[in-house]
Amino acid sequence: MTSMGTTGFEITVNLIKTVLVFLMMVQAVPILVWLERRGSAFIQNRFGPNRVGPLGLLQLLADAVKFLTKEDFAPEKGNRFMFYAAPVFALIPAAIAYMAIPMSVPLKLETATFLIQGFEINVGIVFVLGISSLAAYTILMAGWGSGSKFSLMGAMRASAQIISYELALGLSIVGVILMYGTFNFNEMILQQQGPLSFNAFGYTVATAALPNWGIFYQPVGMILFFAATFAESNRLPFDLAEGEAELVAGFHTEYGGFKMLMFFIGEYGHMMIASGLMATFFFGGYGIPYVSIQDVQNFGMNLFGSEIAANVFNTVVHFLCYNIKFGLFLWIFIWVRWTLPRFRYDQLMDLGWKTMLPWALVNTMVTAAVMFVTTYFMF
Amino acid sequence: MTADAFLFWFLAALTIISALSVILMTNPIYSALSLAMTMVSVAAIFVTLQAYFLAGVQIIVYAGAVMVLFVMVLMLFDLKHELQAFTRGRFSGAFKIASIGSLAGLLVGAMYSARINSALTESSIAANATSKGAITPLAEELFLRNVFGFEALGVLLLVIAVGTVALSRSKGGTHARH
Repeated sequence: MTSMGTTGFEITVNLIKTVLVFLMMVQAVPILVWLERRGSAFIQNRFGPNRVGPLGLLQLLADAVKFLTKEDFAPEKGNRFMFYAAPVFALIPAAIAYMAIPMSVPLKLETATFLIQGFEINVGIVFVLGISSLAAYTILMAGWGSGSKFSLMGAMRASAQIISYELALGLSIVGVILMYGTFNFNEMILQQQGPLSFNAFGYTVATAALPNWGIFYQPVGMILFFAATFAESNRLPFDLAEGEAELVAGFHTEYGGFKMLMFFIGEYGHMMIASGLMATFFFGGYGIPYVSIQDVQNFGMNLFGSEIAANVFNTVVHFLCYNIKFGLFLWIFIWVRWTLPRFRYDQLMDLGWKTMLPWALVNTMVTAAVMFVTTYFMF
Repeated sequence: MTADAFLFWFLAALTIISALSVILMTNPIYSALSLAMTMVSVAAIFVTLQAYFLAGVQIIVYAGAVMVLFVMVLMLFDLKHELQAFTRGRFSGAFKIASIGSLAGLLVGAMYSARINSALTESSIAANATSKGAITPLAEELFLRNVFGFEALGVLLLVIAVGTVALSRSKGGTHARH
């Protein structure tokens, strides 16, 4: 982690930044809920919410007011402390983990440099995976604190699923780590700049037609990682935790009003982490395909003629590019939810332990072997 | 007080309070959650010492996987029954005091021997572990210098896992009739 800065200005900006990233995450949730409801309606040939405001966009504002004014209810037989603590804790892991993902090129203002991420950690991957795995506690706390059978069953299912798929998730990105040789997100993104080129058997293979993205080196890893993140964020087709036909609503059966909304924000937070990591590992992060960071900088210099304006322009353009990729993956999350049916529980466990884990192990070994052979053998 | 000192005292107090509540809470679930809290605050102390990799691994392995399993299994128990078995009885009290005493003795002994063995703090691991969270020195220690010990530990864990399964199977496993 870099320090919070040396001058008062830098420290203030860095502190504000951490709050801002959190607010950004929370503010994206209403838009995603709107997208989810309108998207599901589009997929199922319905209208969806379209009465409140243009395209139904103000529906979420109305929902928020409704959630805030609902009766504050806690089940009598539950554990009150756990019941109230769980939704608060649900926000923390998602928010802290998302802050470690870089969203644009660092902004240089004369002497100071600001990273467009909450904080930089050298072992970013380990940090993000570790913090987001703490989400299992909030589900368990909610399930146990509710004092209801449905909640407890839902919590058990959810935590067993999260633990099972964490292994596949962790192993699926070992290939990525081997390939980039770093745990640092920024270094990974910088390695994915430019056209596709790699060294093999002493030759350099390059093609200008494709960007140098991780997906072309690790397609199996990408599929495994994306599938495992669906399970980690408890989304369909892996939402056994809240299978409404069997468990009413799973671990949040007893929750209503804003407490339930906080679980929602946590779930969307995990979707955002997954989308951000997908973009960073496999799709060049904030990098723009066929255009280098220096190109954008030069274009900005020609356009505005001043160094600072060009820097700001560069950061903003890359931030937009990151958000396009980020939004695309979020849309795929929603798309899949309304396309695929739910797994049965034994199918879920079979997929996790007997299919994804072996494939992830094979992917790791093949990656390591190929890297060794292409680096140390010359023809 | 500097920021570092404040962080240290805050995290140290948090660690000690949550560690104490592991043994002082009567509800096993609170104890398990406090233990998870202890793990997280120890990881935070690692972060202040700039051992980021160690902190991340601590959270992934202990707080993220092992303790989640503990909490999950505890929640499956009939806690009212277990609560009484856990807190009452002269034998369990004596056992608790004995285990606390032996652990305290172990800790004091370790500190005392570490004070004599000050060469340990100057070893390459300690110096490298703090070099901006770099993991290459750690990997070199684990996979080059101490590879046999590392692999033997893996085999030992495998033996434990197989032994646990074999033992629980021989007594009828989850379908046992008491």
